[in-house]
Amino acid sequence: MQSKKPVFLTIYTIIFFIYIFAPIILIFIFAFNKGEGYNFPLQGFTWKWFEEFFKDATAVKSIRNSLIIALISATISTILGTALTLGLVKAAIKFKTALLTFLLLPVLMPSLTIGISALVFFRTINIPLGIPVVILSHVSISMSYVFLIMMGRIEGITLEIQEAAVDLGATWFQSIKDIIFPVLLPAVLAGWLFSFMISWNEFIATYFLIGTEVTLPIYIFSQLRFGISPKVNVISVLITLFTFLVIAVLFSTRNIYSRFKRI
Amino acid sequence: MNTISKNNRNLLYPALAWFFIFFILPLGIIFIYSFTTTYLFYGHSVSLTLNNFLIIFQKKHYLIILGRSLKISIITTIFSIIFSYPIAYFLAKKTKFDRILIIIIMIPFWINYLIRTFAWKLLLSENGVLNQILLTTGIIQEPVKILYTQTAVILGLIYTYTPMMVLPLYATILKIDSSLIEAARDLGASRTGAFFDVTFKLSLTGIFAGTLLVFIPALGSFAIPAILGGTDSVMIGNIIENQLLRVGDWNFGSAFTLALAGLSIALILFYSRIFGLESIYRNREF
Repeated sequence: MQSKKPVFLTIYTIIFFIYIFAPIILIFIFAFNKGEGYNFPLQGFTWKWFEEFFKDATAVKSIRNSLIIALISATISTILGTALTLGLVKAAIKFKTALLTFLLLPVLMPSLTIGISALVFFRTINIPLGIPVVILSHVSISMSYVFLIMMGRIEGITLEIQEAAVDLGATWFQSIKDIIFPVLLPAVLAGWLFSFMISWNEFIATYFLIGTEVTLPIYIFSQLRFGISPKVNVISVLITLFTFLVIAVLFSTRNIYSRFKRI
Repeated sequence: MNTISKNNRNLLYPALAWFFIFFILPLGIIFIYSFTTTYLFYGHSVSLTLNNFLIIFQKKHYLIILGRSLKISIITTIFSIIFSYPIAYFLAKKTKFDRILIIIIMIPFWINYLIRTFAWKLLLSENGVLNQILLTTGIIQEPVKILYTQTAVILGLIYTYTPMMVLPLYATILKIDSSLIEAARDLGASRTGAFFDVTFKLSLTGIFAGTLLVFIPALGSFAIPAILGGTDSVMIGNIIENQLLRVGDWNFGSAFTLALAGLSIALILFYSRIFGLESIYRNREF
């Protein structure tokens, strides 16, 4: 199969990667450009936009809110999602396939429908909009992602070790704490980071539920709607660097996990 | 059944309860609103009606937007298939560095899509980078207006959702046994014939999975048309936002939302019936 060098495909792949990264590189360039406009030639290097960004109280507050929401919702959804997978993976229950499909709906449905239905629901039962409501809704989205990740990683062997532990005299709680949890730890960490990123990036559901508060995506959207400012470039640069960091951590947990599996 | 698996099974109830209260119940509320006349709180008296759905089909305005949303999402899906097929094929069959390249493809996906959409705004605006390049190379004499048109919305959607197509396509093509293609070649098929009769047909599962992951979010998109589009690119999502947050007609807004949710659930169930839902994510890399 490898006899002929795929010249066309190789060139196409290179162009594709340029296509994917060019817009992001462009943002980086203009974050350090002196001029207000977004066109070439560049007018020299500056940190001015970074200073302006950090002087903007709303921007800083939006970062703080986004962090709070992502930390709390990732933690809740990881606990719930991990427990859900442990309970479901070996359970013999009726309509299991149908249940699995339903549990994956939040991943596949447009988040617009999730946001709108949550908005109508919370307003109808008279719960005020704001950060707590956003957290509730983020959990029901990211829980399904945790479930997906854990389904792929909890293998039959895990539960057999648990049985062995119980046969040897451990209580059920000890078997979870001392056997299951350490074995699953890398996957749990991956699930947590994944939910963190889902919540951190979530815009549409948040937009309908946040009320008068502000999160980072909401801040970016309001900046984009009313013209564009290089402050958005600054936040983009910061977010991109942050994203690289999270991806690096995510993949190092995967490597730990695959080493684990080999033992 | 022993106590371990019984105890393990009890673990699933908190999550199920959460799922029911914060996901299923809200959808139920939307369902009720779609078929009633007024708000359910403040003690209004409520009566049943089909009007909320009938309006969608009676007013030409809404039908146009519905048709346009479908058109934009279908074009987006088709282009994402065309763009990602060669990449997925190259990654699956022609390179040893596929794992690292997949990770690199997914990096932009993790950067907030509002930021990526912002980048397209910079690229497409009247004195933006794209126009500058086209003007200086002499391809065009006057700057073209792309930003705030449907074209800009479609470009933004394709850029945002193409990685979602690459992943399942790559996973299915990877699993195709190369000896099948060799067998077809040995039996006299041409290179293109073998490709279309074997590789392409066997990768249809991946195309369907990718279609699910691209078409549904494109149909429900709201921010991308709001940022890149103009008056000719208002989509379902923008109508729903307008009805709920500005006009305040919750019943009509709910009917539109329910239509969107119903359509996507129908697509998802149809897919899971035929291929099994877990096949979408079985080989998912992140």
